[in-house]
Amino acid sequence: MHRGENAPVDSGCLFSGPITKGKRVNALHEVILSVGIDIGTSTTQLIFSRLTIENRASSYTVPRIQIVDKEVIYRSLIYFTPLKSNTEIDAEAVKKIVRDEYQAAGMTPEDVRTGAVIITGETARKENANEVLEALSDLAGDFVVATAGPDLESVLSARGAGADKLSHDHRTTVANLDVGGGTTNIAVYEKGTLRGVCCLDIGGRLIKVDKGRVTYLFPKIQALAKSHGIDLKVGDPAEEQKLRQICALMADQLAQSLHLKKMDGDHMGLYTNDGKPLPSEPEIRAITFSGGVADCVYQQMEDDYFRYGDIGVLLGQAIRSNPDLQTVQLFQAAETIRATVVGAGTHTTEVSGSTIHITEDRLPIKNIPILKVSEEDEASLETFRTSITSQMPLYKPEGKVEQIAIAFNGGTRTSFAEVQDLAAAIIDGAKEVIESSYPLILVVEADIGKVLGNAVNVLLDYKKDVICIDGIKTLSGDYVDIGEPVAEGHVVPVVIKTLIFNS
Amino acid sequence: MDEKDLRTIIEQVLSEMNVGGAAAPAVEAACAKACEASNIEDGCIPDITEVDIRTQYLVENPEHGEEYAELKFNAPCRLGIGKAGARYKTLPQLEFRAAHSAAQDAVFNDVDEDFVKSQNLFIVQTQCDCKDTYLTRPDLGRKLSPEAVATIKEKCKKNPTVQIYVSDGLSSASVAANIPDLLPAILQGLQNYKIDVGTPFFVKYGRVGVMDEISEVTGADVTCTLIGERPGLITAESMSAYIAYKATVGMPEARRTVVSNIHKAGTIPAEAGAHIADIIKIMLEKKASGTDLKL
Repeated sequence: MHRGENAPVDSGCLFSGPITKGKRVNALHEVILSVGIDIGTSTTQLIFSRLTIENRASSYTVPRIQIVDKEVIYRSLIYFTPLKSNTEIDAEAVKKIVRDEYQAAGMTPEDVRTGAVIITGETARKENANEVLEALSDLAGDFVVATAGPDLESVLSARGAGADKLSHDHRTTVANLDVGGGTTNIAVYEKGTLRGVCCLDIGGRLIKVDKGRVTYLFPKIQALAKSHGIDLKVGDPAEEQKLRQICALMADQLAQSLHLKKMDGDHMGLYTNDGKPLPSEPEIRAITFSGGVADCVYQQMEDDYFRYGDIGVLLGQAIRSNPDLQTVQLFQAAETIRATVVGAGTHTTEVSGSTIHITEDRLPIKNIPILKVSEEDEASLETFRTSITSQMPLYKPEGKVEQIAIAFNGGTRTSFAEVQDLAAAIIDGAKEVIESSYPLILVVEADIGKVLGNAVNVLLDYKKDVICIDGIKTLSGDYVDIGEPVAEGHVVPVVIKTLIFNS
Repeated sequence: MDEKDLRTIIEQVLSEMNVGGAAAPAVEAACAKACEASNIEDGCIPDITEVDIRTQYLVENPEHGEEYAELKFNAPCRLGIGKAGARYKTLPQLEFRAAHSAAQDAVFNDVDEDFVKSQNLFIVQTQCDCKDTYLTRPDLGRKLSPEAVATIKEKCKKNPTVQIYVSDGLSSASVAANIPDLLPAILQGLQNYKIDVGTPFFVKYGRVGVMDEISEVTGADVTCTLIGERPGLITAESMSAYIAYKATVGMPEARRTVVSNIHKAGTIPAEAGAHIADIIKIMLEKKASGTDLKL
C-alpha cells in the first residue's frame, strides 16, 4: 500500500513479460497442466486444463502467488461407464479409455502436474471402485489424486457449472443441481461461499426402458411412485403418461430439497446413504443445472423420449415445468454434462501461501489425514498441546503412528515470541511424529508458515524434516495432498479432500 | 480560570454593552451556568482510531449499500463515508485528522532510546544533528558522523557475511512496532541456513543510502537495513527492508532489493523476517542484488 522511502517505482516487472490475449502477464508466471477424470454412474469423461499461476504482488513486496486463470484445453468423448457386472467396474476398459484419450490429446502422464480422478454416483458403490481409482491415479500422473464421495461430487459439479461464480458475481444464493444417472448432487453457494451440500437418489437412469418395456427400476423410485398410487414394476410397458407422473414426483422432491416446498413423508428416505438435507438458511434465490439431464432441462427435446433408453428426457421436462422450481431464477450453467469432470480437473487444486517452509525431497505426499486443533483449543498453549496428544490415538489404527498433518489457524499467534512458544508446544504435543520416520507436516491458515517452520527446525536442531505450509483452510476429517513446489519453489499445489462434509 | 475571573469578564462585557448595574442577576446566572458546564463526567468517549475503516459505511439511504460495503471490505479506503452537505461527516473528519496526526508523530518523534537498548542495539548517528536537518538535508542522512564510523569499527564484527542494522527513516513508530518480531525472525532464518551475521545496531536520522557507507565500513557481503517508511493515512507503522550485495557508495539505486509494506496489517513482521532471510541466502548464492537478481 505504501511505498517506502526511496521505493523504486519499478514498473518494469509489471509490464514486461509476454502479453497473451491482451491480458497482462507478470514476469513470474507458470502454467501447469491438470487432468480431471470422472467415472460416473452412466458416463466416463476426461478433460485437460491449464492452470496459470502468477505472482500478483509487486516486485517490492513479499510474493503473493495465485492461480489466476483456468482454461479447459481438451475435452474427451463421453463414454458410457464400462461395467463387468452390476457390482463390478470393467477396470481394463476404463484404463483403455484413459490411455486412448491421453494419446488423442497428445499428453503423457509426465506432462500432468496435478488433477483428480473422481468416482461418483452409484459407481462409487461398486466392489472394485477403490482398486480402479488407485490404478488410474498412477496411470494419470504423479500428483493426480484419487477421490470419491457424494459431498465432494456436489461441490465439484457446482464449481464446474459455475454456480460459485454466478453467486459471487450476482451477489445472490445459487444452488446447482447436478442431475445425473443415479443421483442428484446439490451444492449451495452464497456470494461465492459454499453453504451446504446434499445428495438425493433422483436421476435419469433410475428407470431404464428398452423396446417399450421397463427393464430396470430403482427400489426407492418404485416406493415413491407407489405412495402416490402409481404401480410400476420391471417388465411393465413403458407408458409415457405414467412415467411423466413419476418424473413429476421426482421433480417435486427436488423442489422440497431446496426448501421451495414443504417436505412430505417420502422426502427424507430419498437422500443417498441416509444423508442430511440442505440447511434451511440461506434462502435459495437462483438455480443452475448440470449433469446428463441438464441439457434436457435447458433445451426442448422433441420426438423420441426414450432415445437414451431411460427417463432422462422426461425428467428434464418435468423439472423444467415444476411450478415450485420456477419461483426462483434460472441461470445457464457454464458446463452441463461435463460439470463434474471440469470441476475435478480445474477446481481441486489450490496453491499454498507464498512464504512457506518445505523439505523438497519429501514431496509429493498424498492422502495424509488432518489432525485439526480446533480454534477453541488454540486459545491456550496447554489446550493446544493436549488437543494434539488426545487426538493422536485416532491416527494410530495399528497402535503405531502413521503419517499425519497437524492443522490449525494460527491467527492469534503471529509475533515472533508467540511463534516460538507455538513451535515448542507443537514439538511437545507431536512427540510421536517427531520420533517416527515421517516428516513433521504442519498446515496453517494464517501467514506464519515460514517463520514457524524455521522455529520448529531450530528447536529440533535441524534433525527432522519439516514441512510447514500456510494459506490453507482445513476441517477435521479432511485429507491433504501436497505436490512438488512450483513458481520457482515459492508455493506448493495443495489438494484438500473433504470426504465427510455432511455427516 | 476560576469563578472570580469569570465573573469579572462577564461584568466587563455587560458593562461594555451598556447594560449597567441592573444586570447583576444576569451576571450571576451566566456565571453559574458557565461553571456548571465545565463539570467533568466520568467515562470515555470512543477511540476513533479503533474504527476499522474497511467496515465503515456511512452513506444514508444507499441504493446498493450491501454491495458497496462488501466491495469496501477489500481495502482500507476512505470511500462510502457519506457527507454532510458538501463536507465530510464529523466522524470521518476526525478519523482523517487522527490518521494525519499519527503520521506526523511517526515522522517527528524520536525512537525511544531505552527501547533500542532493550533490543540489544547500540546507537550511532548520521551527520544530521537534529530532526529538522534530517528532513531538510537528505544528503547528510546518507553519511555517517565520524564518531559513528569509529564506534562501528570498534564494536562491530569485521567482514561479516551479513550486516543488519535498524534505522528510524521516516517512521519512528515503525521501529517500535516491528523490530521485536522482524529482527529475531531474520536472525533465526539465517541461523537456519548457518549464515554468519555481524553485530546489529541502530542508526539515528538514517536515510536508505547510508547502508552503502556501512557496507564499506563493516566489509559485509550483504547489508540489510530495516527502515521506517514514509507514513501514510492507513498506517504509520510500515517498515521496509533494503538489501544489497556488496553495496558501495555511489552505486546505482537499482542494486537494492526491497521488501516493503511490513506491518501487522500488511506482511506480518515475523513472516517477513523469515522471507528476508531467504532473500539474503539467494543473494549470497547468486552474488547479486536489486534488478540484477531474479527472485
